[in-house]
Amino acid sequence: MWGSGLIKGMRITMRNMLRGPITLKYPYERYELPERARWSVAPTFDAEGNHKCTACMSCVRVCPDHILDLQMTVAEDKSKHIDIFRYELGACMMCGLCVEACPFDAIHMSHDYELAVTAPEDLTYDLLTDTAAARPKREPRPAGAGSTPETEKEADDA
Amino acid sequence: MIDARNIILETGSLAAEGTYNPGRPPASIKRTPSGVDGLTTEHLIINMGPQHPSTHGVLRLVIEVDGEEIVAAETSLGYLHRGIEKLAESRRYEQLGTLMDRGDYVSGIHGEQAVALAVERMLEIEVPAKARYIRTLMAEITRIASHLVWFGTFGLDTGAMGQFLYAVRDREVLLDILETVSGQRMMFNYVRPGGVVADLPVGIDAMIRSFCDGFDGYLEEHHDLLGGNEIFQHRVKGVGAIPRDTALAFGLTGANLRATGIGFDVRRDRPYDAYPELEFDVPVGTIGDAWDRYMVRMEEMRQALRMIRQCLDGMPEGEHTARVPKVLRVPEGEIYAATESSRGETGVHIIADGSVNPARFHYRSGSLYACQVLEEILPGHLLADAVMIVGSLDIMLGEVDR
Amino acid sequence: MSPLLVALLRILAALGLMLFNGVILIWMLRRVLGHLHLRYGPIHNGWQGLLQTPYDVLKLLTKEDVTPSAVDRILFALAPAVVFTPSLLAYAALPFSGTWKITALDTGLLFTFAALSIVPIGILMAGWASANKWSLLGGMRSAAQQIAYEVPLLLSVLPIVMFAGTMNLGTIVEAQSGTWLGFIPRWNILFPGFWPTFVLFWIAGLVELNATPFDMSEAESELVAGFASEYSAMKFGLLFLSEFSNQFVISALGVTLFFGGWMLPWVPVELVAPFAPFIFMFKVYLGIFVIMWIRGTFPRVRIDQLMQVGWKWLIPINLAWIIVFGTVWKLFTLGQGVS
Repeated sequence: MWGSGLIKGMRITMRNMLRGPITLKYPYERYELPERARWSVAPTFDAEGNHKCTACMSCVRVCPDHILDLQMTVAEDKSKHIDIFRYELGACMMCGLCVEACPFDAIHMSHDYELAVTAPEDLTYDLLTDTAAARPKREPRPAGAGSTPETEKEADDA
Repeated sequence: MIDARNIILETGSLAAEGTYNPGRPPASIKRTPSGVDGLTTEHLIINMGPQHPSTHGVLRLVIEVDGEEIVAAETSLGYLHRGIEKLAESRRYEQLGTLMDRGDYVSGIHGEQAVALAVERMLEIEVPAKARYIRTLMAEITRIASHLVWFGTFGLDTGAMGQFLYAVRDREVLLDILETVSGQRMMFNYVRPGGVVADLPVGIDAMIRSFCDGFDGYLEEHHDLLGGNEIFQHRVKGVGAIPRDTALAFGLTGANLRATGIGFDVRRDRPYDAYPELEFDVPVGTIGDAWDRYMVRMEEMRQALRMIRQCLDGMPEGEHTARVPKVLRVPEGEIYAATESSRGETGVHIIADGSVNPARFHYRSGSLYACQVLEEILPGHLLADAVMIVGSLDIMLGEVDR
Repeated sequence: MSPLLVALLRILAALGLMLFNGVILIWMLRRVLGHLHLRYGPIHNGWQGLLQTPYDVLKLLTKEDVTPSAVDRILFALAPAVVFTPSLLAYAALPFSGTWKITALDTGLLFTFAALSIVPIGILMAGWASANKWSLLGGMRSAAQQIAYEVPLLLSVLPIVMFAGTMNLGTIVEAQSGTWLGFIPRWNILFPGFWPTFVLFWIAGLVELNATPFDMSEAESELVAGFASEYSAMKFGLLFLSEFSNQFVISALGVTLFFGGWMLPWVPVELVAPFAPFIFMFKVYLGIFVIMWIRGTFPRVRIDQLMQVGWKWLIPINLAWIIVFGTVWKLFTLGQGVS
């Protein structure tokens, strides 16, 4: 009968209305991000609180938009001291290529997505010293003993 | 004091303005006595977009209208041009995926797959079986996600708001799956030449299966809500019919072409990744109107669901990527590789010169030809139909303008 | 009190009701559409978000009223008034209870429809005066559709007028008191002869309201806001306030003509009288809920399809039904010996 589709459609919307809302009341309720979620780049600190960057420039070379820049001074004993490690968060597309390229696990992708600032100049950070970049507000769960393995291969190895 | 009448009804045809130069000129402004006391009528030139709720991006349609009937139309593209093809000449091959993500941004995996296929074929890299299955799985998940966007916005163009949010509810689950696997909801950067970046995480199998079980019922509900609605059927049936020779002449691909009756599907006819090992049907329409395109895409979602289950059941063991060097250097040569994206054939044509950057990169998208065919099929329809036709062709301006 | 003062107070009461309706209905629309669409509507400002609409009204009052330079100034300024005033007029004949009405008109039904039929003129003025082709299209569509459906709207309620013998809305409500056969309430909707009448009234009423599925004149996805695109601040507020108030009027008419007005089934009229206005408002809001439910579900009809349905189908069906019903009713009354 012409019109039965209309009635069925109204029943479907009423059924969905009675199922209840599916939205999260952000910012009072927050979403749990998956392990691999890629947000701002942050340095990884070791047990003593030192960063692990050796200024090898792998990340600087691989970044597609040339957001990372590293300036260092080499001392007489060939040790490198990092002067500035510029990270332009405003232009970062969070592709993760820098984290993949780093051979020393010195950087990781944090889970911090509340990155808004009021002035565009504030979006250029020094990755190792600026608190906003170095200590992001949300981090992935640290992988340690007893944490769930990431892939099935790791589960088989363990 | 400005006479409002002069502003509303312009005189002069589009050609006289000097900005319009199509191959086929539009019908010129006619002053015809309409037979009622010798009243003369004029055609109205209306600008639809680039800021418009229904043009799916920044598409500009200049339409010449006689009352409500469209007499001529011109598409004006380029509002979303970002120079992806030129930027690609300064990117390395493993970074090209980030650019393709931003072309058709709703179904990014297909673009990344096209680049990966092109580079693998040029370098003769053999992709391990598990990587091929993972890529196919992600591609089909992205196909459903992209079709849900099309479905939601198509209904929204007609004025039905409910099913847009129901489609978004299902898409959220898919985006969660994609985020769990690749790290981001939209710009995945997951498929690389040689395979994928990382293996599937633990627990993803259960997550995808629970989505599939729920989505069977939800898809039928979506179809009942929109396709079963008689008002929608009256709006859509017989509207925007594309004849077969027109579709072939304009280079349409994907669901737009299959709706006209020509069953060309890159997954079946020029298979890649794990498609040779999967069983699936390719839905084909008859007359190529908006209703056929709607039905073809709904059926494609069902077939994609079938393929996802097959991928999960048949997932082989192995490596998630082949051993490829960190920096890819492609010897001189030229290749065109295509995938079946949700909008048609997404292909890349790369001319390599032996360095780490491509010398020339061309991105062939399916939506560009859908935009072109609008000029051919819009005349004769009503203004409200223009919105329906644009919606049914599933145009994504990101891949049109690049 | 002097009759002039009483009349003035009644008019102010109608105005107050109209504004109160607008506030509540906007909130109700946003909450209902929100829950239909799996999300919350406004929930933060005030209890359950009820303060959201007053804040929005304050915002509209303080916004800059932008008038484009190319508009026809007189028509542009008058159009919201021409749309708003008939909506206020239409409250005049609605019976909120046995004694609560603005005025008891013997031609109440006809008057309400006549008042509502001035609204398309205002919409056409708004569409024409905005120097905007999209607004023009919206205004033209609305004029065509609303004028075309005046006739079916009026024809569709003629059987009820024949049945009740009067156009006085208060009398029509009172004729629905009591029961048939002792247990079926005498509401018009429960009389099978009025089922086609109800369907025809409902369709024509939705068209008159510019409500989905017939809201082509303000089709959001095609014409942005249609005839109201160029309006901002309080003029925009007036245009949409009148639309919500029309929803109330049509729903109230539906309740009055078909659902027993302010009466409850099986409860004697004397017991109901103190609560009658609240029962009436509750029923009207239930009707408006159904209108919003339809709005969140159905797609929009195309304008030429709508005009075809109106002229080629609804008017002939209406005329045929009037003839059939009239003949049957006349034979019935003659057979009963009731003149």
